Amino acid sequence: MRWPEPTVQRYVAYGLSLAIGAGLWQLAAAHTSPAFLSSFTATIAKVWEFLVTGVLIEALASSLLLFAVGLSCAIIVGVLFGLLLARVRLLRVALESYITILYATPMVALIPFILSMMGFGFAPKALVVFLFAFFPVLYNTVEGARSLRPELLEVARSFRSSEAAIWRDVLVPYTLPFALTGVRQAVARGLVGMIAAEFFLSSSGIGQLIMRSGQDFDIPALYGAILVVTILGVALMAVGRMVENRFAAWRGLER
Amino acid sequence: MSLAVPAAPARARRKLAFSDLAVRIIAGIVILLVWEVVVRLWAPPFVARPSAIVQVAPAVLANATFWQAAAATLGAVFKGLAIAFVIGTVLGVGIGRIRAVDRMTSIYISGLFAMPLTAILPLASLWFGYTADARLAIVVFASFFSIVLNVSDGARAVPPEYIEVSRSFRGSAVSRLVDVILPSSVPYILAGLRLAAGRALIAAVVAEFFVSIPGLGFYILFQARTFHHNEAFVAVALLACAGVLFEIALRQATARWLPWYRRGEPVG
Repeated sequence: MRWPEPTVQRYVAYGLSLAIGAGLWQLAAAHTSPAFLSSFTATIAKVWEFLVTGVLIEALASSLLLFAVGLSCAIIVGVLFGLLLARVRLLRVALESYITILYATPMVALIPFILSMMGFGFAPKALVVFLFAFFPVLYNTVEGARSLRPELLEVARSFRSSEAAIWRDVLVPYTLPFALTGVRQAVARGLVGMIAAEFFLSSSGIGQLIMRSGQDFDIPALYGAILVVTILGVALMAVGRMVENRFAAWRGLER
Repeated sequence: MSLAVPAAPARARRKLAFSDLAVRIIAGIVILLVWEVVVRLWAPPFVARPSAIVQVAPAVLANATFWQAAAATLGAVFKGLAIAFVIGTVLGVGIGRIRAVDRMTSIYISGLFAMPLTAILPLASLWFGYTADARLAIVVFASFFSIVLNVSDGARAVPPEYIEVSRSFRGSAVSRLVDVILPSSVPYILAGLRLAAGRALIAAVVAEFFVSIPGLGFYILFQARTFHHNEAFVAVALLACAGVLFEIALRQATARWLPWYRRGEPVG
């Protein structure tokens, strides 16, 4: 997919592109009011300050805990439910269209309901992350279930496979790669949900850091916090893509 | 437990499709009943339930403010998508076809794509003030990168033979772009648009929460705060309709104009 080229050259190009970007940022900041844009150096200095004072570690720990709880619940429930739908055709036919509708519904719209029903605290925020992450996992697992060839189940049954063997040898290996595509999407959506929950429900973690910096007009801190969130996003997406690719190769064989 | 049904003859299949529809409708009724009963038994009285939503729906739908809010939100979504689509397609083709552009921008494109769109809310309100422009900016930001990523993948995936044929016939660079690269990228462009639409809808709603400008998101926030959950839910349903309609429209467009194209994996 990418240009075939030695890796060293590629990293040099990336380094160069980052350096040019930093230079342009610095230049732009010099010509803009510091009330709108903080310079690259000021932003990095602020991130360093956050790091040294421990503010950043504390915020990230709190955010990641929230993210991990919401995402893992979403993955466990989503994959198990998806597998059940893969096995029980009637249930899948009954619920498929509703799952598609909920998958396309912007879950942010439910935040005000969650706020007024569950108030502040950890649980409503974890629920927001869960809602953002759950439907991509479920939707993609069901997609995998739908493309599961009926002959595979037929053959398994002809050989008198036990229910456990059908799950172990047919259902799980066939739907897992699809589920992992869902997990990758869930990571991205869950992150959006995490920040939204930290903004609109009880303020905490990296979302609070962004929010407070904005309210205090502490521009370098605002840019610094957003930079940290971006790096966090890139790192989490890279992990998600790695896991997905590891299993996508195996799906490719079956196509 | 029912098992997957093997391929059936045409008539039986038609009968099956009918019963599938019946199963779906029954499932929908069961879901609504469970929701109604659970809320009546265990939830505080202000929580939304189907029967109450149906009761308030006519009043909400007859209300001009509601439709103004809907027009504001969906208008911003369409406008933002259009802007992101035009600029994103240009940049995407550039990234896909010109190596230097790819090298210099790819790290930023994938970085900003991975950035949760909620994180720029304070920044957008700082730059654009607490105005509708801030909402538009967030919608554009949210949808732009999925379009760029998909279009650049599409432009990269143009079969080299097509380009060679165009070269052999001394086709100009413009003709290569308009007649070869763009048509061949259409499926990717549609996939990018589908993803972008979902993100744009989220962005518009969340921007209204944050910036407090009139729109469906703000309507939901206001009604939920004053414990009018049923009214707020009508707006949620409208948002869901918009999301689903867009999804259906793009699927239909793909099936209509690109019947050979099997649904691939969009980026992101």
